[in-house]
Parts: sequence; C-alpha cells; structure tokens
Amino acid sequence: MTGSRRLGIILLAAAAALAPGSTARSQATKAPGLVQGGNYDSGNLGMQMQPAPHTDDAGAVYTVGPWPTYTPPLADGEGRELVQSFCGICHSTTYITMQPPLPGATWERLVNKMIGTFGAPIPEPSAQAIIAYLKSHYTPETRKE
Amino acid sequence: MTHLSRRSLLAWLGSGAAGLAFGGQARAQISPQSATPLPSFTGPGVNPYWNGVNPFVSYPQKLPLLRMTDRGIQLETPRPYFLTPFTPNAAFYVRYHLDLIPNAVDLSTWRLSLEGNVERPLQLSFDELVKNFKAGSVAAVNQCSGNSRSRFQPRVPGAQWGNGGMGNARWTGVRLRELLASVGIKSGTVQLQFQGLDRGPGPEGKGADAVMKSLDLTDPALDDALVAYLMNDEPLPMLNGFPIRLVVPGKFGVYWIKHLTWIRALTREDTNYWMAAAYRIPDTPDGNTTPAQAASGTLKTVPIGHVRMPVRSFIVVPDGSSKLPSGLPVRVQGIAFSGDGPVMKVEFSEDDGRNWVEATLGADHGPYSFRTWAHTWRPSRARKHVIAVRATDAKGNIQPDAPVWNPGGYLWNRVERQALIVGAAS
Repeated sequence: MTGSRRLGIILLAAAAALAPGSTARSQATKAPGLVQGGNYDSGNLGMQMQPAPHTDDAGAVYTVGPWPTYTPPLADGEGRELVQSFCGICHSTTYITMQPPLPGATWERLVNKMIGTFGAPIPEPSAQAIIAYLKSHYTPETRKE
Repeated sequence: MTHLSRRSLLAWLGSGAAGLAFGGQARAQISPQSATPLPSFTGPGVNPYWNGVNPFVSYPQKLPLLRMTDRGIQLETPRPYFLTPFTPNAAFYVRYHLDLIPNAVDLSTWRLSLEGNVERPLQLSFDELVKNFKAGSVAAVNQCSGNSRSRFQPRVPGAQWGNGGMGNARWTGVRLRELLASVGIKSGTVQLQFQGLDRGPGPEGKGADAVMKSLDLTDPALDDALVAYLMNDEPLPMLNGFPIRLVVPGKFGVYWIKHLTWIRALTREDTNYWMAAAYRIPDTPDGNTTPAQAASGTLKTVPIGHVRMPVRSFIVVPDGSSKLPSGLPVRVQGIAFSGDGPVMKVEFSEDDGRNWVEATLGADHGPYSFRTWAHTWRPSRARKHVIAVRATDAKGNIQPDAPVWNPGGYLWNRVERQALIVGAAS
C-alpha cells in the first residue's frame, strides 16, 4: 500500500469519525459506495514533451528530425560485447530483445542467415561466441529478462 | 470532503479527454495508461495481448506508437486507433527492413525512374507526376505479412507484432498502368521490380543492401495499383514512404515499396534475396504447414505475393482493460477487411464461438478498405465472458477457428476473441 493511499483512507476514517450520527448513516450521506479515492502515485508516468512545430524554409528539401534509438540492456555474460558490436553493424539489439525465447538451434540458424544471406562480416570464432551467448541467455530455458 | 469530489471530477474529466482523443466521444474504457506495465517480452507461449508488449515511443510526424525495434524502425499501431475506418497518418504503423531510412528528401533532384525493358525510359519529377497524370484514389488496407506473428505456436523469429501491424488509408496518386503505358512496356517483360530510397549497410547484392520486390506483369492486382503521393489527403509521413509509395490493394504491405524511386521492367523472374528467399509461404492450402515439414527441407514455397490477404476481423472495444457493470448494454465495435473482395458479413459470438449472430456493418468505403462493424451485446450475468468475431468475404472465405503455422509467421487470420469481466451491479 502506498503512503498516499494510506493517507486517503485515514482521512476517510477521520471524516467518518467526526461526522454526527451513526457511522453507517454518515457514510451514506457523504459518499455512498466510495471504497477509495485520492490514490496518487509519485513519480513520472510516462510523460513526454510535445514536439515543436516544424519550421522549414520554403525550399524543395523535406526534412524530419533524427530517429530515436534505444540500447536495451542485454544479459550480462561472455560474448555480450561481440553481439553489441557485430550485430549492431546492421541493426540495434532490440532485434534480439524483441524476440520470444527461441530454441538454441533457431539462434544458430539466425546468426548463420545474417552472415550468409545478409552479408554480415563476422569472423567464424566471433560467430560461434555470439551463438553461444544467445543460447546461454535467450532460449526458453535460459531467458530471464 | 470537497477535495474528494474535486478529484472525482478531475478523474472523470481525464477519462473523458482520453476518449475524445481516440473516438470522437467519451470512452473511458480505452485509456492506454496502466498502473502495472506489461512484461518486456512474452513466450515461449503465445503473446496473450492484442498489441505486442512494446513501449510507447514518439517519432517524427507520429503520435506515440509501440516501438518494436529502433534501427531499422518498426512501430505498431495501438488498438484504439482502429475504432475508425481510416487510420490516422500519425498513428499508422511503420515497418522497415534496413536502417538507412531517409531523414531528408530533396524534391528538386528526386526522380521516379521507369527503366529496364521499356520503349522510352522516363525520369519523372514529383511535380510532373502530380501535374501530368490523372489522379486516382483508393481506400486500401496495408497489412504487414507478419501481422499477429506473436500468436504463432511454436513461436517463430521475426517482428513480434500483435494485431497492430496494419492500417487503412485513402491513397491518392497515379495509376501504375497509366505510368507503364507512358513508357511502353516491351514484349518479353515478365515482372516489374520496385525499389525505394531506403538502404542498408550490407554488401551489394546481399539482403542487407537494398529491398526490392517484384510482381508479375500480368498480376490483376497491378490493375488497381497506384503510385501514391497522398495518404488520407495529406502528404505521406516520412516513415510511411514520402514522397511516394506503391499501393497494391489486396496484397500484403511488403510489396507497397516506400520512397518508391525505381520501377524496372524485368525480362527474367527476380532472383534477389527479397523475392527468392524472404517472404515466402508454403505452397499449401492457406499457407499452412508444420514445424516438422518445414525442418525437412522439402517444403515447396512461393512468394507471398501469389496470394491476397486473407479475410480478418477484430474487436477494438471493449478491450478488457476494465470491468463492465452488468445490466448495461455493451457496444462492441471493430473492423474487418479482406484482400480478396469486400467483407460481406461479420458475426459476433457471446459464448466463445459456439453461437453466432450477425453484426451491423458500417459505411462501405470500397472492397479493399477496413469496414467497421458494431453489435450491442447484453451480457446475461456477472462473470467472465469470452466474446468472438469472424468475417466472411465476397468469395465466401470465412475466418477459421484454427491457428495457421508456417516458419515465416505469415497469413494469421484466426477468429479473434476477447475475454471480458462483467461485474455485479448490486
């Protein structure tokens, strides 16, 4: 129970105690059925600033701002830096954290697909380390976060 | 106690304002805010949520959308935006394969090239495209091939969409057939290849260099195709393909090339990665197969462009986020569409799909558009209910109540369900 919620209930109880007549009657008069009110949480509930309007010139170039990026926390372990540097050449590692837990064989096939059909320049020892890392942290048996 | 009633008023105003933003009238049930956040990933079981579990993030020209990946960019449209037949541009989903996505385009140097096996190769400026050709419009659904991939079991790798990898817009531009006529397609042409300005960092000739998609010259879908410069009567947002994109009504979004810049007449079937290896479906009824068959390596596949989008329907509200007081009529609303002819019928079930009644269809915006539907449901008593919806299209296709499975995670169109809690009213 949060502090603010506790405070709200204490205030309700205090208000009921101070009111004249029986407790049941005073609650019916004041706020029938009210179980809880005034429950606020502290902290930032996903606030974002609004974007400013675009002030371009009247030329032929149409511009938008940079695309936001996000580096997800990857599981701590051997091979993490290889994943971040090699996989990050073409895509962010949200491509890894987005996936459901996948079998080890699937991760192996995916890494080989990145090299074979997409042309990722990953040396064989690093590729093996990347596969081992993904198997250690992102399978149904091993994924924690 | 005056401060309590003031707070109640503020809460009431807040919920009403949230409803106004999404539906044009107060709908307290659809606030996307939640005290307890969703988990950061789902699986190995099915993702149980309507959308994927990703966070809201703001992008240029966009309202906060559900960010699946940040480079390349993949953004899912939140559920409340599907209450209307046309999806707002600022809420329209985004799906790129590669990461070199345009931030600035110079229309003084940009040209649309029509080249390859043509009589008179042509380079068109944006101005020429708009002024020299007749404008046409079509309302059409753009849906990612992998929309609802997170429903697959066993799960498959790829973009883990919930149901929000889709949108409907009124597209305006030049008929593709008219552009083709102006350059004269030479005999011997078998396919048309489409490519946009976006690129990737991979080596030339590999999948991470450029995305190219091709359609057979004889494909009837090309008769309805547009090169669109307006989306819902506005210029395209950059992330939806400014300055122009290909619109192929009835086909999956992968063919709707964004930032369209090259149209090539090919004399041989396209063998680039994005045709020969990616976006292929089993050559089986409904694209269905099993993990064992897929692993055997003997599965015959075809490009997903060989089929049209299967019929689908969705429940948008109520979304299950709030308990419904018993005794009140519940207005259930959603959308339906098919890539294979107009939706003829939407049916509602109050008992998990055992019995069905016909829902009321909204305005008809054409055969390729979302069609809204609504049904007033009177729940019998306070308990958990599971409602369901299914649609039937003009070809008689009806949504199945069985899952599809294929290794790409494509073609999901199972009957949709929503669990709802009806609470006691006394």
